[in-house]
Amino acid sequence: MDIVMPQLGETVAEGTLTVWHRKPGERVESGDVLFEVETDKVDTEVPAPAAGILSEILVPEGETVAVGTRIGTLQADGEEASAPAAKNETTAVRIAEKVDASPAMAERAEAAAPPLSPVVRRLLAENGLSPSDITGTGSGGRIKKTDVQAHIAATAAAAASPSAGGRPDRDIVPFGKIRKRTAEHMVMSKATSPHVLQAVEADFHRVAAARAALGDDWKTREGYTLTWLPFVAHAVCRAIADYPHVNASVDGDALVVWRDVHLGIAVDLGPGGLVVPVIRSARGRSVADLARAIHDLAERSRKDALTADDVTGGTYTISNSGAFGTMITAPVINQPQVAILSTDGISKKPVVIESPAGDSIAIRPVGVLAQSFDHRAIDGAYSAAFLKRVKELIEYNDWVTAFD
Amino acid sequence: MAELTYREAVAAGIAQEMRRDERVVFLGEDVAAAGGVFKATVGLLDEFGPVRVKDTPISEQAILGAAMGAAMTGLRPIAEIMFSDFLAVCWDIVANEIAKSRYMTNGQIECPLVIRTANGGGSRFGAQHSQSVENWAMAVPGIKVVAPSTAADVKGLLAAAVRDPDPVLFFEHKSLYATKGEVPDGEHVDTLGTAKVLRQGGDVTILALAAMVPRALSAAEILQSEHGISATVVDIRSLVPLDTQTILSEVVRTGRAVTVEENPRLCGWGAEIASIIADECFYDLDGPVIRITTPHIPLPSADRLEDLAMPSVGRIVETIRTRVD
Repeated sequence: MDIVMPQLGETVAEGTLTVWHRKPGERVESGDVLFEVETDKVDTEVPAPAAGILSEILVPEGETVAVGTRIGTLQADGEEASAPAAKNETTAVRIAEKVDASPAMAERAEAAAPPLSPVVRRLLAENGLSPSDITGTGSGGRIKKTDVQAHIAATAAAAASPSAGGRPDRDIVPFGKIRKRTAEHMVMSKATSPHVLQAVEADFHRVAAARAALGDDWKTREGYTLTWLPFVAHAVCRAIADYPHVNASVDGDALVVWRDVHLGIAVDLGPGGLVVPVIRSARGRSVADLARAIHDLAERSRKDALTADDVTGGTYTISNSGAFGTMITAPVINQPQVAILSTDGISKKPVVIESPAGDSIAIRPVGVLAQSFDHRAIDGAYSAAFLKRVKELIEYNDWVTAFD
Repeated sequence: MAELTYREAVAAGIAQEMRRDERVVFLGEDVAAAGGVFKATVGLLDEFGPVRVKDTPISEQAILGAAMGAAMTGLRPIAEIMFSDFLAVCWDIVANEIAKSRYMTNGQIECPLVIRTANGGGSRFGAQHSQSVENWAMAVPGIKVVAPSTAADVKGLLAAAVRDPDPVLFFEHKSLYATKGEVPDGEHVDTLGTAKVLRQGGDVTILALAAMVPRALSAAEILQSEHGISATVVDIRSLVPLDTQTILSEVVRTGRAVTVEENPRLCGWGAEIASIIADECFYDLDGPVIRITTPHIPLPSADRLEDLAMPSVGRIVETIRTRVD
């Protein structure tokens, strides 16, 4: 006889088979626990419907199946011999058999999904629904017309609330592939890593001087503007040499510290979303080299010409919102990395300059460097020291010399 | 609006039509001097005189033969058959003559008559005086079949039957004669072939006729208050023509149909409606059509047995509670 996933409660549509108490080929007595089922409401031990041999298991432990699904076969004692013969036996014999078989039959009757009415079949078909989508409230879990209507109404309400009827008050923009993966990744990252944000203010006047000295020539030669970003990338790569634990991943109870820096650069694609292509082995490269690499990746990102290798294997990421003049951004870590730096707007501000001759005020290009780090991996002091190092490099490096 | 009993509404309806149209005459056993054995025609003899209101011999064939002849020759007779069971005595005239005269004369002869008769059980009259035979009439092409459940419908539908150019079998329910209801003042004419939705609910549609209508309404109240099942109740009122538009739309709305029939089960009117429902709105059904009927037996005269046999409020509630799930 078939063993099916039993109906455990009126509104339960499926159950997880947690334990088989017999292996195929083993004997079970009627009433012995044969298997256990877990639903979202209860855990239940299910007795064997009859004595016999468990001849096969169709649903292994751990699998979740709909109520009524055949999960195994029980070779009940005398089952094969008696079933065909029963047709020609006397009524008395048949009644006796019926009494014997009643627990099994009751089980089967209970477990079989109730039939669908014509209107339910039609409504399911018209709305592209499956019976398993609907919770039946009729007797034996039967799906009623009103159950389907309620399901459709609830789905529609969820899609359209709070405005009911009339002109739509919104446009629905389905998530594209990148948006969907970004959404999943962001939720996963926030759930995985305890984020801590730290920021330093850096004086970019030396970088500005380098850009002023080299920028025009660069633009003529390369055909695009020399931005702030390759300088920051350069400083970050050098700072990582001193603070390598920001260039790492968490693996169980260990921190995997990468020896190379593969630097991710977040590139905005407008409505298309965000991609983070990676500059391989960024450490040791010149600013000019980094500038070309960043430009190449950005161009190919916008042309949708990135390869799988371009977007994997990053060990640290820089996100740049500076073009919009933002002051500070708290970035979300690009998993499985442990830190991410945001560069924001760089604008001229009065800055106090200390010198042996006394303090003075100068007008300097200033920007905030903000890092989110994974507090599982490193602590605030370490992150702060790293940021301080980046700041020092930005402020004191001789960028004209370091450029090529 | 005046409150009339169902039996007073009969006399009021006949009187209204006799005042309006001199061709309307009324005949039957003990209908004139005695005012009818159910006292449904009291006062008509006094108002309209012995030429237009006639007592007849105890002969159903004579009554209907005379009425048919009168109708064919220009009058608008209303004939009473005291108990609907007695229609069997004169069924040849009903089924073979009256029903077919227009058809077999290619429309040269009209037969505009109304046969009123006291139908149904519940009054301890035994198997030969208690039958619900509306389904007999429904089976004969050429006759319209009406069975009102309220005083207002008695008057309005009776007036419509008298004005109809074809024969109408008008089934009054003898256990409803004493019931009271509001009847519109002045001339009141209803429309044949229309059902009435008496209450609307979302779970099940109860289709009832005549004495089963008040029982269905009581059952619907109990289903609502005690079991949370909300029922629509439709008074069929007219079996021929049948208001399938109202019936089907009310069945489609709930997806469940239950007929409550007093006639014995086999070939009761509910069987025909169930068949139409299955044919026309199968894909709107959320469960089987259920028929609650008197079993296929001669109706007992013993009080308790008669009460057991006919669909009761309790049986309607119980059937719907257990089967409309």
